[in-house]
Amino acid sequence: MHYITDGFVRAILLLFNKDPETFSAIKTTFTVTTCSMTASLVMGIPMGFCLGYYNFPYKKVIRTIVDTCLALPTVLIGLIVYAFISSRGPLGHLGLLFTVWAIAIGQTILALPIVVSLTATAIESQDEQMRLNLLSLGARGRQLLLTSLWESRLMITTAALTAYGRVLTEVGISMMVGGNIKWHTRTITTAIALETGKGEFATGIALGLVLMSIAFIINLLLTFLKRRI
Amino acid sequence: MKPAYLVQKLRHFYGRKQVLNIDELTIEKHKIVGLVGPNGSGKSTLLRLLAFVEYPSEGKITYFPVLEADGRPLRFQITLLCQEPYLLKRTVFANIAYGLKIRKDTRNLHDRVAEALEWVGLDYFSFAKRKWYELSGGEAQRVALAARLILKPSVLLLDEPTASVDAESAQRIRDAILMAKSEWGATIVISSHDRNWLYESCDQLVHLLRGHIIGSAAENIVFGPWKWLNGTLWYKLLDGNQRLILKGAENENSVALLSPDSLIVRPLSENFNFFDAEKTQREVCYINGIVSALIMERATNNILVSIAVGHITFNARLASNHQMLYPGQKVILEIPTDSARWVS
Repeated sequence: MHYITDGFVRAILLLFNKDPETFSAIKTTFTVTTCSMTASLVMGIPMGFCLGYYNFPYKKVIRTIVDTCLALPTVLIGLIVYAFISSRGPLGHLGLLFTVWAIAIGQTILALPIVVSLTATAIESQDEQMRLNLLSLGARGRQLLLTSLWESRLMITTAALTAYGRVLTEVGISMMVGGNIKWHTRTITTAIALETGKGEFATGIALGLVLMSIAFIINLLLTFLKRRI
Repeated sequence: MKPAYLVQKLRHFYGRKQVLNIDELTIEKHKIVGLVGPNGSGKSTLLRLLAFVEYPSEGKITYFPVLEADGRPLRFQITLLCQEPYLLKRTVFANIAYGLKIRKDTRNLHDRVAEALEWVGLDYFSFAKRKWYELSGGEAQRVALAARLILKPSVLLLDEPTASVDAESAQRIRDAILMAKSEWGATIVISSHDRNWLYESCDQLVHLLRGHIIGSAAENIVFGPWKWLNGTLWYKLLDGNQRLILKGAENENSVALLSPDSLIVRPLSENFNFFDAEKTQREVCYINGIVSALIMERATNNILVSIAVGHITFNARLASNHQMLYPGQKVILEIPTDSARWVS
């Protein structure tokens, strides 16, 4: 029990002393999650809108595939991305393996179905009267899309938060395609796994605290934002 | 007068169910047209089709721009206020300004929003910054109407605008609608259960029943069940055990249409003998009722008298030599038994 409390104390010291190794992992985590979330939101929100708003052939099949992808294991994504970007893979010449870009690609694949599915659900649950109202006021095309999304902003924010929670806490992708290289591709979660394996509970707990703090601050900001909008 | 709309051979289906079947309908420019009919008669569907937010399964709706040289796209000339107003999750100001922003017409936005709010009887300083959830049902409906009026549409389509709002809101809405016609000559099509208001305000009435146009006057619709009496006579039991007897129903669920011209109203006199009158009921049916309203019918410049018989109200058009009638007065309604048109 003693080593756990000791771990907490040392964790706080590490953070206050701005331990470079710890801060490197935090920086890498921020970089990859920002990239992956930006990509998944930019692609996922319009895709989710189309899936929720329009009727087209095989819509239900596509919806089922997207919903199934919500349960994609991170190690499987890691494996697939690895297969594509390793030197023997079709994208091997790009030299992405064991870079932050590789992790970002894998995390985008992880977050995309969450954003698409939850955005589609948000759009589907919109009041039919809203669509009629917008059409009757003259909205079409892009105006209709943007207003519909804005009207569902709270649910879409929740979708983004859920996806962010997944990419922030995943280990499998970062480990497999990032390689957990110190100062380069080591993220908070891979660092926790490594430090715990080495018996360095203090560092592990410190990084765990940081992870929780990031999640807490982001939720706090979004709660504040929800009230404002 | 030139038409604003020409509807030809319109058939509309939801799934396999036909909801509208209109061979021809003309709506003239700068007129107020009332759509009358019971629930499910196709009024809301027709309004959505006229707004071009839905397209007919068969047939054609032709729109002729109401204002000459109106260069606005069609979707900017016509606007529809739905039965259940939907306000965007924004402030009242943003809701009213939304349509103008879509049109990229944001000149004097604050002044125009203030003017639109004034049209519907809401104060700019009290309401502009309110959120959508800070409004009562009546206020929300008025804000939704203001969001349409600010666009100064050539055609204003209104689906039950005064349903489920308080009396003050209903009056404000009515005034604002009439203002739209007088200020910029809008063509207005309204569906409403408030028949008396429609009779008073509309230049043209379109009576819908089960998706068909059954007339353009203040027809009385009497639903079944009908019971067979004898020969070709059928009767419907009214409140107070009175019987409305009519000839020629096809079955017990037929719907009778009675023209207000065929109904005669006489003040109830003390020497009127219902027992004797019963004997003549093969030709004329006598019903005891109370005058509930007297309405000036705008489309014909005649006076309509509404007579309440229990929960059913009959409308009769008064002849020019009519006797003095007043609300609350007990009257006898004479209905020729062969005056009904029947719809199955």
